[in-house]
Amino acid sequence: MTNKTSKVGSIADAVTLIPDGTRLAIGGFAIYQHPMAVVRALIRAGRRDLAIVGTVNGNEVDLLVGAGCVKRVETSYVGLEKYGLAPNFRRAVEEGRVEVVDYPEVLSFDRFRASQENFTFWPCDYLGGTDVLARNPDIKPFICPATGRTLHAVPPADPEVVVLHAIAADERGNVILPQRHLLPQGLDVIMARGCDTVIVTVEKIVPQSMIRRHAAQVQIPSYKTTLVVEAPWGAHPTALLGRYATDDAHFRDYVAASASPDGFAAYLDRYVHGPADHQAYLDAVGPGRLGSLTEFDTL
Amino acid sequence: MSANLNDTLLDRALDGTPDGATLAETIAVNLARSFADGEVGFTGLVTGGAAALFGTSIPLAAMSLAQAMHAPNLTILLAGWSHNPDLGSLSVMPDSEFDSVLRDLPCDAQMLTYPGPWAIKRGDIDFGFSSGVQVDAVGSINSVCIGDPAKPKVRLVGPILQPEHMTLFGREYVMMPHHARRNFVEKVDYVSGVGYPGGLEGRKRLGLNHGGPEWVVTPKCVFDFDKEAGRIRVKSVHRDADRRDLAEHTGFAVDAGNAPLTAAPTKDELDLLRRHVDPNGILLGRRAA
Repeated sequence: MTNKTSKVGSIADAVTLIPDGTRLAIGGFAIYQHPMAVVRALIRAGRRDLAIVGTVNGNEVDLLVGAGCVKRVETSYVGLEKYGLAPNFRRAVEEGRVEVVDYPEVLSFDRFRASQENFTFWPCDYLGGTDVLARNPDIKPFICPATGRTLHAVPPADPEVVVLHAIAADERGNVILPQRHLLPQGLDVIMARGCDTVIVTVEKIVPQSMIRRHAAQVQIPSYKTTLVVEAPWGAHPTALLGRYATDDAHFRDYVAASASPDGFAAYLDRYVHGPADHQAYLDAVGPGRLGSLTEFDTL
Repeated sequence: MSANLNDTLLDRALDGTPDGATLAETIAVNLARSFADGEVGFTGLVTGGAAALFGTSIPLAAMSLAQAMHAPNLTILLAGWSHNPDLGSLSVMPDSEFDSVLRDLPCDAQMLTYPGPWAIKRGDIDFGFSSGVQVDAVGSINSVCIGDPAKPKVRLVGPILQPEHMTLFGREYVMMPHHARRNFVEKVDYVSGVGYPGGLEGRKRLGLNHGGPEWVVTPKCVFDFDKEAGRIRVKSVHRDADRRDLAEHTGFAVDAGNAPLTAAPTKDELDLLRRHVDPNGILLGRRAA
């Protein structure tokens, strides 16, 4: 009898799957549950010309754009929610170093639904009069064959690679969502279903027996997953719902450092270029800080 | 006008109102009166000072008050996904949309994925609240950038849900936490949510047959629209002084000379607001006596 294939790999393997110029979708939402261990590794590897396609983005895009890895961002939002505007993204846009293509939020979700359905466009009827439409040559008018109304054909998200961070998976890449989850985790699933190269970092690689006890929560089954990587605290400083909270102090330090290019460079030296890998990053943050972020979902 | 001055004015009782109603209370009551039973209202979770008060707390207080008065079947969508959250169980306002605090806040239903419980394009959402850094004379709003969008002077967050708010919702309340010339301009630098260019006919020509801004609420006044003409107008001012200096603080032409004062709350409305809706002052910053 032949054994089933393991999809377990390293963060370095993930970076290899994301070469310069990749059209990349990054899981998580605003300042929640981003695959930050991979994001930092992309910067360490000196990736360039990434095209980020997203829905609602936050510190993960701010960090990549600030580090010079990104040429284009397609999304509805880049910001840090209660921590304010995304400072490095803002600076880069104002200096013309990154191209931004603005999409409405629900339409940005629909672009990933279009990819899941393998549609060549998503129809939209509410863009008239906006600069979203006026400034985007990729959105094209067409006549609805059923009603004769003018609608707009919006390009699908079509990422070449999706990378996201989840709570657990088995070695074969069956990925679990916590039973008590929220919209960001739901959107991660839509993202993963519309792409052929899906990288999932997880807090813990668990035995197949545990997966089989939680089969109803496996929203991304093995055949959808390209690579699974164990990366404990892999979303830090963003939260992982059900495991740990947002590192509020880290976010505040990040925003303060990002007030100037020199301050941001110092942040990168301390937390991205300085530590050789994810484990060294966790050492730099410190076990005391990480421990203080632990949350219980249910007891 | 500085943000601090506006923040201070929000807490101050308006002249001549019963029981010293504050501006925040007065706005909440006026909004509440405009909601109908059975409607679904959508508000985001905005953080920080006056923006949070205008964008989240006043809308939540208004919707809760409407539920207590005449609209028991109104549905509140907090942060767009928590249905009828138990605001009374809060000790502080949540400041994050998708963390464990909101996950654990008791409510009627949650939205766990997209598409979820509400069918936004079928018109399930009757009204919403949004904000922007600019609003213009036809009611279009901007949250994307200041200056030329190709090379902006200031890049902001992006259009987020504004295009949907201003077309797919039944009507929109634009909540502006500050009232200064730079916020109220003849033409926004980027249209992220569309108002009434060319009036209702103009909207139809753009393919928009539904929704649009209803009111624009500021610390100085309430604007509404001549929807046929497609032009913003002053519906009421909050104080006599606002009538005198509104034009000075507004970047498009306004005529506030004959504008009435914003309707004062009744004693019953204030009692409900203070004792039932917001007894701990979490939303509007004032505790029940």
